[in-house]
Amino acid sequence: MVSPVRSICIVGGGTAGWLTAGIIAARHRTDLQITLIESETIGIVGVGEGTWPTMRTTLKKIGISETEFFRQCNTSFKQGAKFARWTTGEPSDFYYHPLVLPEGFPSLDLAPFWTKYSEEHAQAPSFSNAVCYQEAVCELGLAPKLITSPEYAGIANYAYHLDAGRFASFIREHCVANLGVRHVVDEVTGVGRTEGGDIAYVETARSGRLSGDLFVDCSGFRALLLGQALEVPFVDCSDVLFIDRALAVQVPHENEQSNITPYTVSTAQKNGWVWDIGLQSRRGVGYVFSSKHTTTDAALGELRAYVGQEHDHLQPREIKITPGHRETFWKGNCVAVGLSGGFLEPLEASALVLIELSAEMISGLMPATRETMDIVARRFNETTRYRWDRIIDFLKLHYILSRRTDSAFWIDNRDPASIPASLREQMELWRYRAPGDQDFMSNSEMFPAASYQYVLFGMGFRMQTRGAGLERDPGSAQRAFAQNEALKVKWTRLLPKNRDLIDRIKEHGLQRI
Amino acid sequence: MNIVDLSRSAHGGLRIAADRIEATAAAQHLIPIVVSEFRKAAIQYPIVFAKNPETGRFAPYVLTGLTPEENLFWTGTELDVAYVPLNVRRQPFYVGGESALCVDLDSPCLDEAGTKLLVNADGSDSAHLQSVLAVLGELVAGRAPTEQFIASLLALDLLAPMLLDIVLDDGTPLKIQGLYGLDEDRFRQLPANELSGLWSGGRLDLIYAVLLAGGQIFNLIRLKNRRIALGRAWHGND
Repeated sequence: MVSPVRSICIVGGGTAGWLTAGIIAARHRTDLQITLIESETIGIVGVGEGTWPTMRTTLKKIGISETEFFRQCNTSFKQGAKFARWTTGEPSDFYYHPLVLPEGFPSLDLAPFWTKYSEEHAQAPSFSNAVCYQEAVCELGLAPKLITSPEYAGIANYAYHLDAGRFASFIREHCVANLGVRHVVDEVTGVGRTEGGDIAYVETARSGRLSGDLFVDCSGFRALLLGQALEVPFVDCSDVLFIDRALAVQVPHENEQSNITPYTVSTAQKNGWVWDIGLQSRRGVGYVFSSKHTTTDAALGELRAYVGQEHDHLQPREIKITPGHRETFWKGNCVAVGLSGGFLEPLEASALVLIELSAEMISGLMPATRETMDIVARRFNETTRYRWDRIIDFLKLHYILSRRTDSAFWIDNRDPASIPASLREQMELWRYRAPGDQDFMSNSEMFPAASYQYVLFGMGFRMQTRGAGLERDPGSAQRAFAQNEALKVKWTRLLPKNRDLIDRIKEHGLQRI
Repeated sequence: MNIVDLSRSAHGGLRIAADRIEATAAAQHLIPIVVSEFRKAAIQYPIVFAKNPETGRFAPYVLTGLTPEENLFWTGTELDVAYVPLNVRRQPFYVGGESALCVDLDSPCLDEAGTKLLVNADGSDSAHLQSVLAVLGELVAGRAPTEQFIASLLALDLLAPMLLDIVLDDGTPLKIQGLYGLDEDRFRQLPANELSGLWSGGRLDLIYAVLLAGGQIFNLIRLKNRRIALGRAWHGND
């Protein structure tokens, strides 16, 4: 006898719960009944305020208007991240990880050409400035598109900054009104199991027992189903990534007309780093640090110094985090999405994109029966684990390239014992050639080779260019560098200020075509 | 541009050089129109849709050239057309906020040697000013129905990016971007109740005007080829 999968029960209604509901419902609303149960008393953590460009496709796919998304979620444009004081710690030290790929990439690799040029010229431009026009656009505070660009289409590749609380309720309204998701507001008081160990139902305070063929645990750090009920162990990564505390604060803009910074700023501090995310009405700022290396009081002092004296009355909220993830993410008939699956410092905005990718994968692989679910679970676990490992490698990369010596935090971060073997191997290879697609062969890659190039060369990593094929086609490299300069001139002239475009979008809307 | 409210006392002495009015469109490849002009425009120009660069909102235009700042109907002295759009005829006058009549004091149409007066000797509006007021009146009256027409096209998903991929007689390839047209396939598939809604709202006529006007693109290509041939003859290359 086969047991068909007919209903999905999602436990938890933050960004993870509602995005998962939307993504699954967009594909399966006619063949699956989707219920989301959300507590009235438990708030959402809501520090995930930065997305990847993938969010454009995700929102489009679930049928959301980009105009409405700007109007309702305090949304602004993000064109990558600016890392300040990560390499030397000097005030003038910064580099960009933009979202536009290097000119000609991946068919043409400008990295060896740039490396050779900068060895021979003291005043050579930075890597990202030499190969990509987006840093110039960002430094001028410009938006990535025009008011005449259609919804979700960009001139420069872009992602978003958003208000996580408003975002969750925005997606909720859409899911309930347009995608047929059943919304239950209640408290989960217990979990019922089947003889085989699956989850049979969740017991609620007022709505009785809610059953489901597949349960999605979006209950946040508590991991109510996968962690508490099914006892899947947690893999602690704090031996690699030391950050385990966040102090978050909301800072008003100077005035209503102040431009909104169109990129995330990440400024290294003595024992961690500060994120700075510009939304329409405020900035979200937070210091993530290592409690093994400093105290909350000292960190608070550094955060206050960053936001400035005029904001001394603001009370930052402290969040404790354990860097790491579940040993497996799908067990039996329960899969974890969001913080219940794990959490890492938000250095490369990996939280929301992992929600999108996980929900997309669940939706795409949706098992038709309980009997086939274990196959899907195994694949999901392999892929998701691979993704976490790649994110951990990429985050660690930022730390091992730093030359800061002002605290044990930075020195300890370069201890080879704290560096995953996979990353150490890559670093050996990259001494002789730039990161390329050949290093990232899986279908589940997180960061393109270009991202590794931006971080490596942005942080002053030097590779040997002998044998890099510089003599093969110098003409095409020259043309690509020239093309990048031309694009810089063109788009810095034509693109509007970030705030100006957002105001226009709110007033006139973007067209769908 | 120096647009100010028109004062019949302060600006009573202004004269219009009527022969320069059409010259204001000499370097325009798109001229905005309102729905009341569609039938007349359709006998001369393709009717296309484009986004206002300030607001991103769609508006209808007549297409008068195949590259930016090119008007293939401009002969050097006049527009060689059977119908001149209201937005050309109204030059150099505008409607400002609160429907105030405005004038562009920097316009080359204003000239002391101009033949048309604004105000008669007795202080009344000249025949020219009266005709300009009628033109502006039609433009203002056309605003709302034009926006409603666009809204109904968008609601029915009937606008689509237009891909004009032309090869001229001399082999030059020409691609025109940023223009939108009616999605004829979607229009043909509309259910009867939607068609009947368009018909009773008077919008079906407009859609057919746009569809028929599409053929005028061949006239633009003809004019463009002729212009190139003339240019070659002039340079003695032929």
